[in-house]
Amino acid sequence: MKSVTEQNFVVLLQEHQNIVHKICRIYTNDSDAHKDLFQEITIQLWKAFPKFRGDSKFSTWMYRVGLNTAITLYRKSLRHVQSQRIESVAYKLSYEEYDDTKDEQLKLIYGAVRKLNDIDKGIVFLYLENKNYKEISGTLGISEVNARVRMNRIKTKLKTQLNS
Amino acid sequence: MDELELLKKDWDKSSTNYPTLNNEQLYKLINKKSSSIVKWIFIISLLEFSAWTLISFLFDGAESLEKMKSYNVEHIFFPLTIFGYLVLFVFFYLFYKNYKSISATDNTKMLMEQILKTRKTVKQYVIFNLGFMCISIVLGVYIELTNNPEVQTMLTNIKSEGANNIYIFYLIVVGLSVLAMAVIAAVLIGFYYLIYGLLLKRLKSNYKDLKALEKAF
Repeated sequence: MKSVTEQNFVVLLQEHQNIVHKICRIYTNDSDAHKDLFQEITIQLWKAFPKFRGDSKFSTWMYRVGLNTAITLYRKSLRHVQSQRIESVAYKLSYEEYDDTKDEQLKLIYGAVRKLNDIDKGIVFLYLENKNYKEISGTLGISEVNARVRMNRIKTKLKTQLNS
Repeated sequence: MDELELLKKDWDKSSTNYPTLNNEQLYKLINKKSSSIVKWIFIISLLEFSAWTLISFLFDGAESLEKMKSYNVEHIFFPLTIFGYLVLFVFFYLFYKNYKSISATDNTKMLMEQILKTRKTVKQYVIFNLGFMCISIVLGVYIELTNNPEVQTMLTNIKSEGANNIYIFYLIVVGLSVLAMAVIAAVLIGFYYLIYGLLLKRLKSNYKDLKALEKAF
Protein backbone atom coordinates (compact mmCIF):
# COMPACT_ATOMS: atom_id res chain seq x y z
CA MET A 1 0.00 0.00 0.00
CA LYS A 2 1.31 3.38 -0.94
CA SER A 3 0.71 6.07 1.61
CA VAL A 4 -0.44 9.55 0.65
CA THR A 5 2.96 10.94 1.64
CA GLU A 6 4.65 8.41 -0.57
CA GLN A 7 2.41 9.25 -3.48
CA ASN A 8 3.01 12.97 -3.03
CA PHE A 9 6.72 12.41 -2.82
CA VAL A 10 6.88 10.26 -5.95
CA VAL A 11 4.93 12.85 -7.93
CA LEU A 12 7.38 15.58 -6.86
CA LEU A 13 10.36 13.34 -7.55
CA GLN A 14 9.02 12.42 -10.96
CA GLU A 15 8.68 16.06 -11.83
CA HIS A 16 12.19 17.00 -10.70
CA GLN A 17 14.13 13.81 -11.43
CA ASN A 18 16.34 15.60 -13.91
CA ILE A 19 18.20 17.19 -11.00
CA VAL A 20 19.17 13.74 -9.74
CA HIS A 21 20.29 12.64 -13.19
CA LYS A 22 22.41 15.74 -13.56
CA ILE A 23 24.14 15.16 -10.21
CA CYS A 24 24.85 11.57 -11.30
CA ARG A 25 26.24 12.82 -14.57
CA ILE A 26 28.82 14.99 -12.82
CA TYR A 27 29.76 12.44 -10.18
CA THR A 28 29.89 9.19 -12.12
CA ASN A 29 31.82 7.89 -15.08
CA ASP A 30 29.62 5.15 -16.45
CA SER A 31 25.98 4.23 -16.66
CA ASP A 32 26.15 1.49 -13.99
CA ALA A 33 27.54 3.94 -11.47
CA HIS A 34 24.99 6.51 -12.62
CA LYS A 35 22.13 4.14 -11.87
CA ASP A 36 23.61 3.18 -8.53
CA LEU A 37 24.02 6.77 -7.39
CA PHE A 38 20.59 7.65 -8.77
CA GLN A 39 19.10 4.93 -6.60
CA GLU A 40 20.93 6.03 -3.46
CA ILE A 41 19.93 9.67 -3.97
CA THR A 42 16.26 8.77 -4.39
CA ILE A 43 16.41 6.64 -1.22
CA GLN A 44 18.06 9.48 0.73
CA LEU A 45 15.50 11.97 -0.61
CA TRP A 46 12.68 9.73 0.53
CA LYS A 47 14.30 9.22 3.94
CA ALA A 48 14.76 12.98 4.37
CA PHE A 49 11.32 13.86 3.01
CA PRO A 50 9.68 14.12 6.47
CA LYS A 51 12.14 16.95 7.14
CA PHE A 52 11.06 18.86 4.04
CA ARG A 53 8.90 21.61 5.43
CA GLY A 54 8.05 23.38 2.26
CA ASP A 55 9.70 26.62 3.37
CA SER A 56 12.08 26.21 0.47
CA LYS A 57 11.30 24.97 -3.00
CA PHE A 58 11.29 21.21 -3.43
CA SER A 59 13.98 21.55 -6.11
CA THR A 60 16.25 23.62 -3.83
CA TRP A 61 15.88 21.00 -1.14
CA MET A 62 16.66 18.30 -3.69
CA TYR A 63 19.93 19.97 -4.68
CA ARG A 64 21.06 19.86 -1.08
CA VAL A 65 20.11 16.27 -0.29
CA GLY A 66 21.31 15.08 -3.69
CA LEU A 67 24.72 16.70 -3.41
CA ASN A 68 25.11 15.56 0.19
CA THR A 69 24.49 12.03 -0.96
CA ALA A 70 26.95 12.27 -3.84
CA ILE A 71 29.69 13.96 -1.79
CA THR A 72 29.28 12.40 1.63
CA LEU A 73 26.75 9.64 2.15
CA TYR A 74 27.19 7.57 -0.98
CA ARG A 75 29.45 4.60 -0.76
CA LYS A 76 30.30 2.89 -3.99
CA SER A 77 28.17 -0.08 -3.27
CA LEU A 78 28.49 -3.76 -3.75
CA ARG A 79 25.38 -3.31 -5.80
CA HIS A 80 27.39 -3.70 -8.98
CA VAL A 81 27.36 -7.37 -8.14
CA GLN A 82 23.62 -7.23 -7.72
CA SER A 83 23.00 -5.15 -10.78
CA GLN A 84 20.07 -7.33 -11.80
CA ARG A 85 18.26 -5.78 -8.90
CA ILE A 86 18.62 -2.40 -10.53
CA GLU A 87 17.86 -3.84 -13.93
CA SER A 88 14.49 -4.87 -12.61
CA VAL A 89 13.67 -1.20 -12.62
CA ALA A 90 15.12 -1.13 -16.11
CA TYR A 91 15.25 2.30 -17.47
CA LYS A 92 17.02 3.24 -20.58
CA LEU A 93 20.21 5.06 -19.98
CA SER A 94 22.80 5.44 -22.61
CA TYR A 95 25.72 7.72 -21.99
CA GLU A 96 26.20 8.10 -25.70
CA GLU A 97 22.98 10.01 -25.79
CA TYR A 98 24.29 12.94 -23.88
CA ASP A 99 27.92 12.43 -23.23
CA ASP A 100 29.64 11.48 -26.42
CA THR A 101 29.18 14.83 -27.87
CA LYS A 102 30.65 15.34 -31.31
CA ASP A 103 32.54 18.32 -30.05
CA GLU A 104 36.05 17.22 -29.09
CA GLN A 105 36.63 20.26 -26.94
CA LEU A 106 33.47 19.68 -24.92
CA LYS A 107 34.48 16.09 -24.40
CA LEU A 108 37.76 17.28 -22.95
CA ILE A 109 36.01 19.78 -20.69
CA TYR A 110 33.65 17.11 -19.33
CA GLY A 111 36.66 14.88 -18.73
CA ALA A 112 38.48 17.67 -16.88
CA VAL A 113 35.44 18.36 -14.67
CA ARG A 114 35.20 14.69 -13.75
CA LYS A 115 38.82 14.84 -12.58
CA LEU A 116 38.04 17.61 -10.06
CA ASN A 117 37.60 16.69 -6.41
CA ASP A 118 34.12 16.11 -4.97
CA ILE A 119 33.71 19.59 -3.50
CA ASP A 120 34.83 21.33 -6.70
CA LYS A 121 32.47 19.16 -8.72
CA GLY A 122 29.64 20.33 -6.48
CA ILE A 123 30.54 23.96 -7.04
CA VAL A 124 30.72 23.47 -10.81
CA PHE A 125 27.42 21.61 -10.79
CA LEU A 126 25.61 24.36 -8.91
CA TYR A 127 27.16 26.94 -11.19
CA LEU A 128 25.94 25.04 -14.25
CA GLU A 129 22.50 24.98 -12.65
CA ASN A 130 22.48 28.77 -12.47
CA LYS A 131 22.83 28.95 -8.72
CA ASN A 132 24.34 32.14 -7.35
CA TYR A 133 27.21 32.22 -4.86
CA LYS A 134 24.86 32.69 -1.96
CA GLU A 135 23.08 29.45 -2.79
CA ILE A 136 26.35 27.63 -3.48
CA SER A 137 27.80 28.69 -0.13
CA GLY A 138 24.56 27.82 1.68
CA THR A 139 24.45 24.34 0.20
CA LEU A 140 28.06 23.46 0.98
CA GLY A 141 28.38 25.33 4.27
CA ILE A 142 31.21 27.64 3.20
CA SER A 143 31.29 31.43 3.04
CA GLU A 144 30.29 33.29 -0.09
CA VAL A 145 33.78 34.77 -0.47
CA ASN A 146 35.29 31.31 -0.28
CA ALA A 147 32.88 30.02 -2.88
CA ARG A 148 33.90 32.79 -5.25
CA VAL A 149 37.62 32.27 -4.71
CA ARG A 150 37.19 28.55 -5.16
CA MET A 151 35.33 29.07 -8.40
CA ASN A 152 38.17 31.16 -9.77
CA ARG A 153 40.63 28.48 -8.80
CA ILE A 154 38.52 25.86 -10.53
CA LYS A 155 38.50 27.93 -13.70
CA THR A 156 42.30 28.20 -13.59
CA LYS A 157 42.58 24.49 -12.83
CA LEU A 158 40.42 23.59 -15.81
CA LYS A 159 42.35 25.91 -18.10
CA THR A 160 45.69 24.47 -17.06
CA GLN A 161 44.44 20.95 -17.47
CA LEU A 162 42.96 21.58 -20.88
CA ASN A 163 46.00 23.41 -22.19
CA SER A 164 48.53 20.85 -21.06
CA MET B 1 35.36 31.69 -24.68
CA ASP B 2 35.55 30.52 -21.09
CA GLU B 3 35.57 26.70 -20.78
CA LEU B 4 32.83 26.75 -18.20
CA GLU B 5 30.63 28.96 -20.36
CA LEU B 6 31.02 26.49 -23.19
CA LEU B 7 30.13 23.68 -20.85
CA LYS B 8 27.14 25.57 -19.52
CA LYS B 9 25.70 26.00 -22.99
CA ASP B 10 25.93 22.29 -23.64
CA TRP B 11 24.61 21.52 -20.15
CA ASP B 12 21.47 23.56 -20.74
CA LYS B 13 21.03 22.05 -24.18
CA SER B 14 21.34 18.44 -23.03
CA SER B 15 19.01 18.77 -20.06
CA THR B 16 16.22 17.19 -22.08
CA ASN B 17 18.21 14.06 -22.86
CA TYR B 18 17.91 12.36 -19.51
CA PRO B 19 15.84 9.23 -19.07
CA THR B 20 12.47 9.76 -17.48
CA LEU B 21 11.36 7.24 -14.91
CA ASN B 22 7.67 6.84 -14.33
CA ASN B 23 6.04 6.87 -10.91
CA GLU B 24 5.96 3.10 -10.66
CA GLN B 25 9.71 2.81 -11.33
CA LEU B 26 10.50 5.57 -8.85
CA TYR B 27 8.28 3.95 -6.26
CA LYS B 28 10.29 0.74 -6.63
CA LEU B 29 13.56 2.64 -6.31
CA ILE B 30 12.78 4.51 -3.10
CA ASN B 31 11.82 1.26 -1.42
CA LYS B 32 15.20 -0.32 -2.00
CA LYS B 33 17.83 -0.60 0.69
CA SER B 34 20.26 2.22 1.20
CA SER B 35 23.99 1.59 1.16
CA SER B 36 25.10 4.87 2.71
CA ILE B 37 28.12 5.23 4.98
CA VAL B 38 25.83 6.38 7.80
CA LYS B 39 24.06 3.05 7.69
CA TRP B 40 27.37 1.21 7.83
CA ILE B 41 28.63 3.33 10.72
CA PHE B 42 25.41 2.56 12.58
CA ILE B 43 25.74 -1.20 12.01
CA ILE B 44 29.43 -1.30 12.94
CA SER B 45 28.81 0.81 16.05
CA LEU B 46 26.02 -1.49 17.20
CA LEU B 47 28.38 -4.44 16.72
CA GLU B 48 31.02 -2.66 18.78
CA PHE B 49 28.62 -1.94 21.61
CA SER B 50 27.37 -5.53 21.65
CA ALA B 51 30.87 -7.00 21.40
CA TRP B 52 32.08 -5.04 24.42
CA THR B 53 28.95 -5.85 26.40
CA LEU B 54 29.41 -9.52 25.57
CA ILE B 55 33.06 -9.40 26.66
CA SER B 56 32.15 -7.82 29.98
CA PHE B 57 29.44 -10.45 30.49
CA LEU B 58 31.98 -13.19 29.93
CA PHE B 59 34.33 -11.67 32.48
CA ASP B 60 31.58 -11.06 35.00
CA GLY B 61 30.37 -14.66 34.88
CA ALA B 62 29.02 -16.36 37.99
CA GLU B 63 32.18 -18.38 38.35
CA SER B 64 34.50 -15.41 38.52
CA LEU B 65 32.08 -13.67 40.87
CA GLU B 66 32.27 -16.63 43.25
CA LYS B 67 36.03 -16.50 43.05
CA MET B 68 36.04 -12.79 43.85
CA LYS B 69 33.77 -13.47 46.80
CA SER B 70 36.14 -16.10 48.15
CA TYR B 71 38.94 -13.52 47.92
CA ASN B 72 36.77 -10.94 49.71
CA VAL B 73 37.31 -8.38 46.98
CA GLU B 74 33.76 -8.12 45.64
CA HIS B 75 33.58 -4.63 47.16
CA ILE B 76 36.07 -3.61 44.44
CA PHE B 77 34.52 -5.52 41.56
CA PHE B 78 30.87 -4.76 42.17
CA PRO B 79 31.18 -0.95 41.84
CA LEU B 80 33.53 -1.41 38.89
CA THR B 81 30.96 -3.51 37.06
CA ILE B 82 28.16 -1.02 37.78
CA PHE B 83 30.43 1.79 36.63
CA GLY B 84 31.15 -0.10 33.40
CA TYR B 85 27.44 -0.48 32.60
CA LEU B 86 26.68 3.13 33.47
CA VAL B 87 29.35 4.29 31.08
CA LEU B 88 27.96 1.98 28.40
CA PHE B 89 24.51 3.58 28.75
CA VAL B 90 25.89 7.10 28.68
CA PHE B 91 27.90 6.38 25.54
CA PHE B 92 25.02 4.60 23.89
CA TYR B 93 22.71 7.52 24.62
CA LEU B 94 25.25 10.00 23.19
CA PHE B 95 25.80 7.82 20.15
CA TYR B 96 22.08 7.50 19.47
CA LYS B 97 21.57 11.25 19.91
CA ASN B 98 24.37 12.01 17.47
CA TYR B 99 23.14 9.43 15.00
CA LYS B 100 19.65 10.89 15.07
CA SER B 101 20.99 14.37 14.32
CA ILE B 102 22.63 13.25 11.08
CA SER B 103 20.50 14.87 8.44
CA ALA B 104 20.98 14.96 4.68
CA THR B 105 19.04 18.25 4.79
CA ASP B 106 21.90 20.06 6.56
CA ASN B 107 24.58 21.78 4.54
CA THR B 108 27.48 19.58 3.42
CA LYS B 109 29.89 20.78 6.09
CA MET B 110 27.44 20.28 8.96
CA LEU B 111 26.53 16.84 7.69
CA MET B 112 30.17 15.79 7.58
CA GLU B 113 30.82 17.16 11.06
CA GLN B 114 27.83 15.30 12.46
CA ILE B 115 28.97 12.01 10.94
CA LEU B 116 32.49 12.48 12.30
CA LYS B 117 31.05 13.33 15.72
CA THR B 118 28.98 10.15 15.78
CA ARG B 119 32.02 8.13 14.89
CA LYS B 120 34.09 9.92 17.54
CA THR B 121 31.67 8.93 20.31
CA VAL B 122 32.13 5.27 19.48
CA LYS B 123 35.88 5.75 19.30
CA GLN B 124 35.87 7.29 22.78
CA TYR B 125 33.84 4.35 24.04
CA VAL B 126 36.39 1.93 22.63
CA ILE B 127 39.28 3.89 24.15
CA PHE B 128 37.47 3.89 27.49
CA ASN B 129 37.01 0.14 27.24
CA LEU B 130 40.65 -0.45 26.41
CA GLY B 131 41.64 1.58 29.47
CA PHE B 132 39.07 -0.20 31.60
CA MET B 133 40.36 -3.54 30.41
CA CYS B 134 43.97 -2.64 31.22
CA ILE B 135 42.97 -1.64 34.75
CA SER B 136 41.02 -4.89 35.09
CA ILE B 137 44.01 -6.93 33.96
CA VAL B 138 46.36 -5.16 36.38
CA LEU B 139 43.84 -5.48 39.22
CA GLY B 140 43.11 -9.12 38.37
CA VAL B 141 46.78 -10.07 38.32
CA TYR B 142 47.37 -8.26 41.61
CA ILE B 143 44.41 -9.97 43.30
CA GLU B 144 45.47 -13.38 42.04
CA LEU B 145 49.00 -12.83 43.33
CA THR B 146 47.87 -11.74 46.78
CA ASN B 147 44.80 -13.95 47.30
CA ASN B 148 45.03 -17.19 45.33
CA PRO B 149 46.25 -19.92 47.74
CA GLU B 150 47.82 -21.91 44.89
CA VAL B 151 49.79 -18.88 43.75
CA GLN B 152 50.81 -18.22 47.37
CA THR B 153 52.30 -21.71 47.67
CA MET B 154 54.03 -21.25 44.34
CA LEU B 155 55.48 -17.92 45.51
CA THR B 156 56.82 -19.51 48.71
CA ASN B 157 58.42 -22.29 46.65
CA ILE B 158 60.07 -19.83 44.30
CA LYS B 159 61.33 -17.74 47.21
CA SER B 160 62.88 -20.78 48.88
CA GLU B 161 64.80 -21.59 45.70
CA GLY B 162 66.64 -18.31 45.67
CA ALA B 163 66.13 -14.65 46.52
CA ASN B 164 66.45 -13.43 42.95
CA ASN B 165 63.97 -15.90 41.46
CA ILE B 166 61.01 -14.02 42.85
CA TYR B 167 62.01 -10.87 40.95
CA ILE B 168 62.36 -12.83 37.74
CA PHE B 169 58.91 -14.31 38.39
CA TYR B 170 57.35 -10.87 38.88
CA LEU B 171 59.13 -9.62 35.80
CA ILE B 172 57.61 -12.44 33.76
CA VAL B 173 54.12 -11.75 35.16
CA VAL B 174 54.37 -8.03 34.36
CA GLY B 175 55.85 -8.75 30.95
CA LEU B 176 53.07 -11.18 30.04
CA SER B 177 50.36 -8.75 31.20
CA VAL B 178 51.82 -5.91 29.18
CA LEU B 179 52.15 -8.22 26.18
CA ALA B 180 48.50 -9.31 26.49
CA MET B 181 47.33 -5.68 26.66
CA ALA B 182 49.53 -4.68 23.73
CA VAL B 183 48.27 -7.56 21.56
CA ILE B 184 44.61 -6.76 22.32
CA ALA B 185 45.16 -3.05 21.64
CA ALA B 186 47.09 -3.73 18.43
CA VAL B 187 44.45 -6.09 17.05
CA LEU B 188 41.67 -3.60 17.82
CA ILE B 189 43.52 -0.61 16.44
CA GLY B 190 44.33 -2.55 13.26
CA PHE B 191 40.70 -3.58 12.94
CA TYR B 192 39.41 -0.03 13.35
CA TYR B 193 42.00 1.36 11.03
CA LEU B 194 40.86 -1.05 8.36
CA ILE B 195 37.09 -0.66 8.81
CA TYR B 196 36.85 3.08 9.40
CA GLY B 197 39.81 3.85 7.19
CA LEU B 198 37.98 2.35 4.25
CA LEU B 199 34.63 3.79 5.21
CA LEU B 200 35.65 7.33 6.02
CA LYS B 201 38.62 7.91 3.73
CA ARG B 202 36.62 9.87 1.18
CA LEU B 203 34.65 11.82 3.77
CA LYS B 204 37.80 12.83 5.62
CA SER B 205 39.54 14.03 2.50
CA ASN B 206 36.47 16.00 1.40
CA TYR B 207 36.11 17.50 4.85
CA LYS B 208 39.77 18.50 4.85
CA ASP B 209 39.17 20.08 1.49
CA LEU B 210 36.27 22.16 2.79
CA LYS B 211 38.23 23.19 5.87
CA ALA B 212 41.32 24.12 3.86
CA LEU B 213 39.11 26.48 1.93
CA GLU B 214 38.31 28.35 5.13
CA LYS B 215 41.83 28.51 6.48
CA ALA B 216 43.04 30.30 3.37
CA PHE B 217 41.29 33.47 4.55
